[in-house]
Amino acid sequence: MTSTAAPATPEQAGIWRVVPALVLAIAAGWFATFLPLIAQGEYAEFVVPWIPSLNIELAFRLDALSLTFALLITGIGAICFLYASTYFRSDPRLKRLLSLLTLFAISMLGLVLADDAITLFVFWEGTTITSFLLVGYDHHKKSARDSALQALLVTGLGGLALLAGLILMGQVAGTYRISEWVQMGGIFRDSGLYLGMLTLVLLGCFTKSAQFPFHFWLPGAMAAPTPVSAYLHSATMVKAGVYLIARLSPALGGTEVWTWTLTLVGATTMIVASIWALKQTDLKLMLAYTTVMALGALVMFLGGDYYYATTGAVTFIIVHALYKATLFLSVGMLDKMAGTREVEALGGLRRAMPLTWGIILLAAASMAGFLPFFGFIGKELKYEGALGVASEPLLVASAAVLANALMVAAAGMVALKPFLGAQRSPKPAPSDPPMTMWIGPALLAVMGLTFGLFPDLIGPTLILPMAEVVYGGPVPVEVKLWAGVNTALKLSIATFLLGFVFYWMLSRIRQSLDKEVPRVADAAEGYEILLQGMKDLAAWTARTIQPGKMTSYLRYTFLLMGVLVWGAILIGTGGIDLELGDVPIFHSAIVAIIAVSTFAIVVTGSRLVAITALGGVGAGLAVIFVLYSAIDVALTQLLVEILVVVFIAVALLKLPRAGTGRLRIGDASISVMLGLGVTFGLMAVMSTPLDRTIPDYFEAVSYSEAFGRNIVNVILVDFRALDTLGEIAVVVIAAVAAVAALRGGGQEVEK
Amino acid sequence: MISADLNIILPELVLAIFAMAALMWGVFMGKDRQAEPLLFATSVVFVLTAAWVATLPGGERVAFNGAFIDDGFGRFAKVLLLLAAASMLLLSREYLKKFELMKFEFPVLITLAVIGMMMMVSAGDLMALYMGLELQSLALYVVAAFRRDSVRSTEAGLKYFVLGALSSGLLLYGASLVYGYTGTTNFAGISEVIAAEGVGLGLLFGLVFMCTGMAFKISAVPFHMWTPDVYEGSPTPVTAFFATAPKVAAAGLFARVLFEGFAGAVSDWQQILAFLAIGSMYLGSIAAIGQTNIKRLMAYSSIGHMGFALVGLAAGTEEGVQALLIYMAIYVTMNVGVFAFILNMERDGRPVTDIHALGLYSRVRPARALALAILMFSLAGIPPLVGFFGKYYVFLAAVSAGLVPLAVLGVIASVIGAYYYLRIIFLMYFGEEAEAMTGTMPVIHAAFLIVATVAMVLGAAPVINLFGVEAVAADAAAALLN
Repeated sequence: MTSTAAPATPEQAGIWRVVPALVLAIAAGWFATFLPLIAQGEYAEFVVPWIPSLNIELAFRLDALSLTFALLITGIGAICFLYASTYFRSDPRLKRLLSLLTLFAISMLGLVLADDAITLFVFWEGTTITSFLLVGYDHHKKSARDSALQALLVTGLGGLALLAGLILMGQVAGTYRISEWVQMGGIFRDSGLYLGMLTLVLLGCFTKSAQFPFHFWLPGAMAAPTPVSAYLHSATMVKAGVYLIARLSPALGGTEVWTWTLTLVGATTMIVASIWALKQTDLKLMLAYTTVMALGALVMFLGGDYYYATTGAVTFIIVHALYKATLFLSVGMLDKMAGTREVEALGGLRRAMPLTWGIILLAAASMAGFLPFFGFIGKELKYEGALGVASEPLLVASAAVLANALMVAAAGMVALKPFLGAQRSPKPAPSDPPMTMWIGPALLAVMGLTFGLFPDLIGPTLILPMAEVVYGGPVPVEVKLWAGVNTALKLSIATFLLGFVFYWMLSRIRQSLDKEVPRVADAAEGYEILLQGMKDLAAWTARTIQPGKMTSYLRYTFLLMGVLVWGAILIGTGGIDLELGDVPIFHSAIVAIIAVSTFAIVVTGSRLVAITALGGVGAGLAVIFVLYSAIDVALTQLLVEILVVVFIAVALLKLPRAGTGRLRIGDASISVMLGLGVTFGLMAVMSTPLDRTIPDYFEAVSYSEAFGRNIVNVILVDFRALDTLGEIAVVVIAAVAAVAALRGGGQEVEK
Repeated sequence: MISADLNIILPELVLAIFAMAALMWGVFMGKDRQAEPLLFATSVVFVLTAAWVATLPGGERVAFNGAFIDDGFGRFAKVLLLLAAASMLLLSREYLKKFELMKFEFPVLITLAVIGMMMMVSAGDLMALYMGLELQSLALYVVAAFRRDSVRSTEAGLKYFVLGALSSGLLLYGASLVYGYTGTTNFAGISEVIAAEGVGLGLLFGLVFMCTGMAFKISAVPFHMWTPDVYEGSPTPVTAFFATAPKVAAAGLFARVLFEGFAGAVSDWQQILAFLAIGSMYLGSIAAIGQTNIKRLMAYSSIGHMGFALVGLAAGTEEGVQALLIYMAIYVTMNVGVFAFILNMERDGRPVTDIHALGLYSRVRPARALALAILMFSLAGIPPLVGFFGKYYVFLAAVSAGLVPLAVLGVIASVIGAYYYLRIIFLMYFGEEAEAMTGTMPVIHAAFLIVATVAMVLGAAPVINLFGVEAVAADAAAALLN
């Protein structure tokens, strides 16, 4: 062992450290046994009912697409786990890290194997949450915490949009089985909800796969430890969005909207990410941006709607996973053994870390797309595809060439800069890491070369079946290293030349980028603004609607009542019949008294006047009852009115003086609105015919059954005698209670 | 026949007699020394009554000329609210003792409120409706102000009373209009009149006012104003109670009135309900973001959840009622769990309500933090937890009823609302370290927390299938509509 790290705690011995890696390796082997089956275009399935009433099943399906991802997840997972167990050997949190990583691996596997949309979503969220916990792994750092929250919000909210999209699809299709969806593309495209479901599903995919303008969370997520970044944020999780786009493309794809959205979003992501990648001096961040770039490329080619583009995309998924995981892990080795990831602080490590250099060289060559590496095949297929895409070949091809040229420069930066020149590093004696760390990356790097030399190993067995699944039809493509001198090859040569120029001028480009483009429009700021805006909106809502003051609650309530009443009047009736009929002058006079009294209550500053005026209103009403020869009601009204005046006077005397008597325009208008509303409402209601059932009944029976001619009296003392008794009892009890309360209050005051 | 009628309301009758006997017992047998045994006795009686109601023979039985309806729908709601009330009583013991609130009136008042709620969900007549509603409300006004030495609690009680009285007045006004224009107070009768004559302006007015009154009780926007203040000010066990049983009762009443009385006017009230639902979902989601007091936060949460539940009601279909019932059952379970936790948020014997006190709580109490995190995920509606299926059912019902925009708006609201639930989880796992909370959790609280959490996790497991609630709710919904 050549570790020079000063361990904070003793190294954690024990075989448990490698158990997760072992388990994943075995799983990878098990998945590999399905290869022959898949090569024949077959699939395997596993279904149990989950919530039968909702038609939701736990359904899993292994076809070429999910098998590829499953192999990547388990294979690269095993390597990352092994690496992590060494990388963190002196960290007491290793157990936690490994268990989280294992949980993540399970979620990710579930995601790619699920055939039921809801099941898929459950695992999708599982990856979001485990990723959240892993990004915030160094939770004593504020930046890590913020990044974790950012990643959670962006991907989590996107995930919920995805859920809505999937449910829409399920409702339209009548099933949640994805394998059935992909055969009913027409149903989705013809349904009126197509745009809705497409938007929602793509929102989910774009946030997950860090597409512009949601790309900003991914570089932030690099706060996670290196093995985590290598596994989640380059090889697996961020490809979940790409996976879903690929999976659903037979169902949702093939339309103009689909093609153009994917092309434009993918291309923009690619370009924006490459510019940012060149600006970075931290190797890990640079790799993060090249990952965003690669994801953009995948999205762009999946939108190509051309079998070459599809093949290029699926090949590139594997190519990218192989070299990018290697590079991430290797940068981690540099960080660990040489002390930094800053490219400016490293140099001449070729003697001290020859193995690391070798691995990086192999991976970087694949990244740059040199012959005879696997990356070359991927790139040729992409170019071939770019020339035939449904949207705009020129746009796609030039974006691809530009991005690939930048990829060449980036590969040069990571493979050459730290290793050539004079030796310098923050750690005094850098050396190659222990075997458990380098063996995995080495394996991946060698695979990148092997698949390039022997494309038949993987082409017909995995890539073509996968392309067929995604394309939804036969794919007449051959995966081979040398396809002769064609346009794609010429584009490749142009790419290399451009790439070398970029590499040569890297520091100058970086300087001018820093100077000339100081602030590229940054979606991260949009996120900040959005978040802040939401908080402000929340604070504003709570402040205005919920100030805690009774008066404002009542104000809102009455305002709403006014709105409701007016709404009912305006919507419910064609108009209001304002015809009042013949009103005797005496009636008008009383109404005028009532109105004047009401006005007096409102405007007066004196309580005594207000109380008197209130009595005036009540007395006026009593007179109206008299006019309609309801003497008994008038009497009751008068008595009640007197009581009310007395009670209010008693109560008001005990209250402190409040209010300035100022005219409050807002309140005044609310009360006028409500008052007029109720008046008009009553008039409108009165103009509809009354149901005469009840009056007729009482008119008919009040004398014959109760021997009384005053119907109201009869109702009170005969038909509803028990009610009246009850009411009297209630009044008595209330009076007793009131007396007790008043007395009690008096005693307290005396004390 | 009176004996037949009494037989049908026997569970309510027994509870009423129990309440009166308990009151007498408390008054004559040494008052508050009896409070603790009485608290337990009451919860046992609730549980037994729930079991009794659950095992009543199926089918619909009508008492007092249609004023009281005992059917599958009512029984479902009753079992739910009885169990919620029983849980709350069991959870409240420590709090009441600590603040010297262990008075025998407390269980008696709760019992009275529960009888009122049972009346509400069984009401078949405007009179019965109002009686149940007022019995419930009056008891609740008092318990909201139960901590008389606390200004906040008394203020909460007063606010609740004034606004509640106002809403009762509106409801009564609406009811009298409905009576005036249909000539009957019986829901079935109202429904017949509507079927024959349609909805005139007077009836529409009555419907609007009645909906307003009921929206107050269920704390739907824009009649929600009392909720945050009352939740914050009331003693925490009372808050827990407010968040559970009365909501079930109000939702049940709402459904009862609309489907029994106004079944022929679906298009008229559908708009009102959609409006209430949208307002509640959005206000609940947005206003909660800025809250730091966990009780206020839960108040907004309940406003939002009522919005989602009303989406089911707005669908106006049997499927919608089923969704409503499932939603309420899930909502109550989650809230019982969350409040079992909140009741134990304390430091040095004083209750803590600031959510920042949860900072890095996962280090102090990993198990409790995990349980709360699961409940929060479930409240946010994230699958595979059961909370998701509640939302799923209501949105599905809305979509099937052709209310696609409402469902879409609901989904967006739930996305926004997820933020503040996730923030609590974030605080517990990555927040700024806070001074540790020292509360020890009584066994019974731990039990409720665990049961609620496990139910959220396992409820959606393949075999368990929401504990069979779904089928029972379907029967209940069918009972209401047929």
